[in-house]
Amino acid sequence: MFGFEAIIAHDGVGISVIGISIVFVGLVLLSFAVSRIHKLIELWDKKNTSYQRVKKSQQKDQKTLSVSDLTVPQDVRRASRQFKLLIEWMGEPFPLPKLLDLSRKCGLSSPHSTINEFIKCKLIIPDENGYYIWNKQLEEKRSST
Amino acid sequence: MSTDIQTLKSLDFFADLNFGELEQIAPLMHLMKVTEGEVLTRKGELARTFFIILSGNFMLSFKEERSFTLHNKGNIIGLSTVVSPFRYTGTAIALTDGLVLLMQGQEFLRLIQSNSALGDKIMRKINKIVSERMPYMTGAWGERRH
Repeated sequence: MFGFEAIIAHDGVGISVIGISIVFVGLVLLSFAVSRIHKLIELWDKKNTSYQRVKKSQQKDQKTLSVSDLTVPQDVRRASRQFKLLIEWMGEPFPLPKLLDLSRKCGLSSPHSTINEFIKCKLIIPDENGYYIWNKQLEEKRSST
Repeated sequence: MSTDIQTLKSLDFFADLNFGELEQIAPLMHLMKVTEGEVLTRKGELARTFFIILSGNFMLSFKEERSFTLHNKGNIIGLSTVVSPFRYTGTAIALTDGLVLLMQGQEFLRLIQSNSALGDKIMRKINKIVSERMPYMTGAWGERRH
């Protein structure tokens, strides 16, 4: 058996129709995908720009945070008002143990570590005689920024 | 033990000591956690314990409420354990949580007295620190400042 007879006898027509339709459908899908590539590229670009925008804003936030860190941390600023009142009441130069004692009696929270923060950020500085003074210059600089 | 020696070696106070001397000191030193507000020494009390700061911040106050603060690893508290009349001249308070190495004063004194070379090296360091802190203790301010 040869030629068309053999093709028909072994379902060759059906197989070739299926093959042709598979290839055709594949080509249609491929052309559709190619026709939509510009949309995909647009989406990708948008994603990148929005990601960069978010990243930039985060960096900006971090920068502003670090600038304020250079001066005095926020919680220390808040606590400084209360401690400043105590120091004004005591007079300057003042003994550090007295400030600690007074702040404890007044019920200020974590007076030890707060005073330590003041010393570390130079809001309270030693007067070289064993006593301490409130750093007005730093405070003025702080309020002007 | 070797970790302790490494820790001791990193401290300026023991910088002049050799390995054998550090080996003698290491078993006498104990690690202690300190919490904010804890009092390590009280002015006028018998000086029983010697402290070396590993971390944390401390305030030392003396007569007339003169004071200074310590913030660095290797700073010393309780020098009176080896200096006559063996009573603390100041009060030491932890300003923050921290870690200190401590040694019993009697053991420290025994060690210094039993090994003259070691004692000499340590007493030199102690004398230097005492002279720096003297104005705070006496209230007489000379040319030297802490």
